[in-house]
Amino acid sequence: MKILVLVKQVPDTSEVKFNENGVMIREGLQSILNMFDQFAVEEALRIREKYGGEVSVMTLAPEQAKSALQKCLALGADKAYHISDRAFGGSDTLATSYALSLAIKKVGDFDLIMAGNQATDGDTGHIGPQVAQFLGIPHVSYVEKIENVEGDKVLVKSLLEDGYRMIEVKLPALLACIPPPNFEYSNPSMMGIVKAKNKPYVWLKADDIDGDKSRFGLNGSPTRVMKMYPPPKRSRGEVFTGNYNEAVKKIIDVLKEKKVIS
Amino acid sequence: MLDFTFTEEQEMIRESVRDFAQRKIAPIAMEMEKTKQIPEDVIQGMAELGLIAPTVSTKYGGQGFDAVTAGIIAEELSRADPTGSIPVFYLVQASWGHVFNKYGTEEAKQEILPNVTKGKWFLGIATTESDAGSDVLGTRTTIRKEGDHYIVNGEKMYISGVREAYTRGGGHITIAKQFPDRGAKGMTMFYLPLQQKGIIPTYVDDLGREGISTGGFTIDNVSIPKHYLVGEEGKGFYIVHEGYEYARGLIAVICAAAGLKSLERGEKYLKERKAFGLPLAKFEALQFRLAEHYTKLSFLRLGSYWALWTYDREGQKKATRFEVSKAIAMAKMFASEWSTQAIDEVMQWQGAFGYTRECTDQAAWRAIRSFAWAEGSKEIMRVIVARELLGKEYTAYK
Amino acid sequence: MIEDYKGILVIGEIYEGKIRPVTFQLITKARELADTLNTSLSTVLIGYNINDMAKEPIYYGADKVYVLDNKMFDPYIAEVYSAVLAKFIDQLKPEIVLIPATHTGREYGPRIAAALQTGMTADCTDLAIKNGRFIQIRPAYGGNIMGEIFTPNHRPQIATVRPNVFKARDPDTSRKGEIINSAPDLSGINIRTYIKDVVKTTVAGAKKIDEAKVIVSGGRGVGSKEGFELLKQLADLLGGAVGASRVAVDLGWMPKSAQVGQSGITVAPDLYIACGISGTIQHIVGMKDSKIIVAINKDPNAPIFNIADFGIVGDLNEVIPIFIDELKKVLNK
Ligand SMILES: Cc1cc2nc3c(=O)[nH]c(=O)nc-3n(C[C@H](O)[C@H](O)[C@H](O)COP(=O)(O)OP(=O)(O)OC[C@H]3O[C@@H](n4cnc5c(N)ncnc54)[C@H](O)[C@@H]3O)c2cc1C
Ligand SMILES: Cc1cc2nc3c(=O)[nH]c(=O)nc-3n(C[C@H](O)[C@H](O)[C@H](O)COP(=O)(O)OP(=O)(O)OC[C@H]3O[C@@H](n4cnc5c(N)ncnc54)[C@H](O)[C@@H]3O)c2cc1C
Ligand SMILES: Cc1cc2nc3c(=O)[nH]c(=O)nc-3n(C[C@H](O)[C@H](O)[C@H](O)COP(=O)(O)OP(=O)(O)OC[C@H]3O[C@@H](n4cnc5c(N)ncnc54)[C@H](O)[C@@H]3O)c2cc1C
Repeated sequence: MKILVLVKQVPDTSEVKFNENGVMIREGLQSILNMFDQFAVEEALRIREKYGGEVSVMTLAPEQAKSALQKCLALGADKAYHISDRAFGGSDTLATSYALSLAIKKVGDFDLIMAGNQATDGDTGHIGPQVAQFLGIPHVSYVEKIENVEGDKVLVKSLLEDGYRMIEVKLPALLACIPPPNFEYSNPSMMGIVKAKNKPYVWLKADDIDGDKSRFGLNGSPTRVMKMYPPPKRSRGEVFTGNYNEAVKKIIDVLKEKKVIS
Repeated sequence: MLDFTFTEEQEMIRESVRDFAQRKIAPIAMEMEKTKQIPEDVIQGMAELGLIAPTVSTKYGGQGFDAVTAGIIAEELSRADPTGSIPVFYLVQASWGHVFNKYGTEEAKQEILPNVTKGKWFLGIATTESDAGSDVLGTRTTIRKEGDHYIVNGEKMYISGVREAYTRGGGHITIAKQFPDRGAKGMTMFYLPLQQKGIIPTYVDDLGREGISTGGFTIDNVSIPKHYLVGEEGKGFYIVHEGYEYARGLIAVICAAAGLKSLERGEKYLKERKAFGLPLAKFEALQFRLAEHYTKLSFLRLGSYWALWTYDREGQKKATRFEVSKAIAMAKMFASEWSTQAIDEVMQWQGAFGYTRECTDQAAWRAIRSFAWAEGSKEIMRVIVARELLGKEYTAYK
Repeated sequence: MIEDYKGILVIGEIYEGKIRPVTFQLITKARELADTLNTSLSTVLIGYNINDMAKEPIYYGADKVYVLDNKMFDPYIAEVYSAVLAKFIDQLKPEIVLIPATHTGREYGPRIAAALQTGMTADCTDLAIKNGRFIQIRPAYGGNIMGEIFTPNHRPQIATVRPNVFKARDPDTSRKGEIINSAPDLSGINIRTYIKDVVKTTVAGAKKIDEAKVIVSGGRGVGSKEGFELLKQLADLLGGAVGASRVAVDLGWMPKSAQVGQSGITVAPDLYIACGISGTIQHIVGMKDSKIIVAINKDPNAPIFNIADFGIVGDLNEVIPIFIDELKKVLNK
């Protein structure tokens, strides 16, 4: 089984700080492997352990994202592909998934492609489905678990808002994965880190993936981010301490007035 | 070429250990003050990551790491565990695992080290006795050869990890006198399993590092096989210093890390706590203390890594034994003192809360205080540095 | 030519035999946009045996309703929906397409954009027309930043839009519109996805939080699974649903379907009562658009108080029973 996991390095948004104007401070934000992708990698490694095969990882990102790929290798992935070229700067999801799909076609036949359901920065969740579309293969989003692999089919658990579906999909396919509640991610072992150094690490440039260059980067991106700003803030209301009865009465009065209760 | 950076690989190691330590150790650290033991899942987690005796070669389940890399792990464990328990659990096994790996017999290494690196057994060091600490030559425990094995008699005291080795398995690298008339050349080192007839453990109620025991044991006519010798007969005194030095370097890093981490907690407190209408952080008298302690500990941290780096250079034949002894002794000389002073200051900032057992920093203070003695006292560090500066001929005693 | 693209299209979502409420929310908003742009509004419904629902979108503002009815469309499968809808859109040539940002919408939607090689904006929380441009507003970086996205040179402009960020208007059953049964183009569809089972994890009878007008939500401070009983009493009294923070879900106290927040569900009820929830950004992004927020927390510094209209500093086990008693008096129960 040849598995490819698409991974992205993201700023650690769980530790975001704001300046006095409520603007997010981006400096000093640590870069981490998108947690959804770490889950996908770990899931891929479990499949490899059970059914044999090889796990590769791929990113399209500037050079500094190397540490994210290296982490995947340290966790146990066998091979890394790093697509890095100025030509890809400013890519939106369409341009990103187009380039990724070309690179995938270029480097080999994969039985299974995995991705995170979403990246915690851009957070669009587009890349998985769009790569699948460009490759002409089926995909499933919100995959919380890969139940089993049988012949050329995988059975997965895909979450709905109020439950889940068990879906069987024919390979090659793409699975966009979401870590289950209380997912305990692994840290790379010392041995894994040492071994990672000697695993194949392949750099790819725009010239290495055959495709329509006008569809790369900013030029190939239909969407434009016009503006970014901090989310509108709600202001602090009235906070009561002590006498609960009085506080509760006051709140209920307002709820009545606003017709929330009648 | 002066380059204060770690390798890419070392940075990855730090990141992995930090994340693990902050997730799995930091939240339970203060609980060890009461439970008096390191949770088993933490030990297993450490073993899975390869953090137990990573200085041992891969052949025996270790990582073959050098001293600087071992120091990085020590630093991250220390930042996560203010009680010092896990740092001690780590540093003793890393240092003495290194010695065992270097001087143990092949047979003993195959038998013992994999159990250590897997987190099953504990490997400690036992040199101190009730009547002999700094003065190793004053050791009273004896070892004599009898046929194809050895017989040991005596006692050891103030030893880390006695309960751990006695209950989990494993033992201590121990020093004893074999040839009383040969002075430094009469000491022999060997591995002493604690789970056997003739070993009776005792425990001391010491001040800190509550998650790991301190104790001692009597050794009554205990027989050990030949292959348990660590190094040749009569070489013990020299080999023990190599282990001490390793441990001292790691201790220096641990002290710097614990102190800096305590200052981080203190910084936060200074900003939050108000007195006379101002956050404490606005008072320059306190700012200065923060700046001074931070500076001292940052230099300590650098000096510690430099000492470990010097240790590694000896292995590459780029530094001499004496340079290593001196560098390491310099790093450890002020380590406990500066760190406890900084932590003491942070306790002070917290007012009366600083004097309660709920305060994290007092646990750190009690832990770090131990390193003014453990693995060589701060006075002995001065003795060593002075000896290297003035020459052996100015040593006051033999 | 981008001038060839005209009108707004809302893709309706059918779930458990009904049109999902989010569809009507999008139609309501799209009506407003269409009026600003002076253009028409269509809805497409895709499913099986859905003809009798076809009128409903008109009540909310659609001018035309296209019905793609085929056995192949039930159950929903991403590769089928995306292929059929991409072809449909390619023929209809709307300038704007709105898709519900439900799990299903976010699954098949991006494939449509890739198939049509056009831009798509994800998970919008607001939409606007500024200087004739269609501006799509969405959170990123875990809700820490808002971005305004615009697609200048490609059509259609596609967006998925979060449920509950817009309110559906009251249906106007007298509104008239056109219903068009179109034959879906099924050529070249190759099904490789098979639905083996559908399992609901919501507790039977429990109200869904994304449709409730009142939500009583609990976090770690509730202390146990049993602790949620108290919240349920309050919710029942208010005719509301019980929600939860992720921690409460992770601890197994509440089902995932009750989780409010970034990795759960976005809600915007009239009243949101947060009990024992600290108020981290990941939780807040999921409920900050609630009309009235009440927080009960024993920590006076809990960030939840910074966004609450009313806060009570106290133990929820003391405060909620008082709340229940007082409410009973007011509601005469
Ligand atoms: C504020 C803001 C808003 C944006 N909004 C939009 C928008 O609405 N529409 C749009 O088209 N673009 C948008 N972008 C651009 C978009 O973020 C980038 O194109 C980004 O590179 C990919 O999108 P994502 O982070 O949302 O990935 P997602 O689609 O959320 O990622 C899902 C998975 O795809 C894989 N993946 C994602 N990126 C890569 C990669 N570079 N290499 C390998 N695997 C990858 C990973 O497995 C990941 O878990 C926005 C950017 C910003 C800053
Ligand atoms: C918590 C803890 C754990 C320990 N764990 C271990 C362990 O695992 N294994 C082990 O073998 N030992 C262990 N020790 C013992 C430690 O190594 C000794 O305490 C240390 O070597 C000092 O020996 P001592 O206590 O016998 O003091 P002594 O040697 O009796 O010294 C008493 C004091 O005199 C000072 N002094 C001695 N000689 C000189 C001199 N020449 N010039 C100036 N001052 C001098 C010393 O610095 C000290 O302050 C541990 C100690 C502690 C506190
Ligand atoms: C990528 C990502 C996605 C996430 N998605 C979500 C999400 O969708 N939804 C979500 O909720 N979280 C999410 N989180 C988690 C989030 O960061 C917080 O960990 C979580 O919201 C905290 O839950 P809590 O408020 O219940 O617990 P805590 O933060 O532990 O707060 C418990 C609160 O209860 C109070 N309390 C305790 N006892 C009592 C009492 N007796 N009476 C009154 N008050 C009491 C305490 O003072 C405290 O403020 C996400 C995190 C990440 C990194």
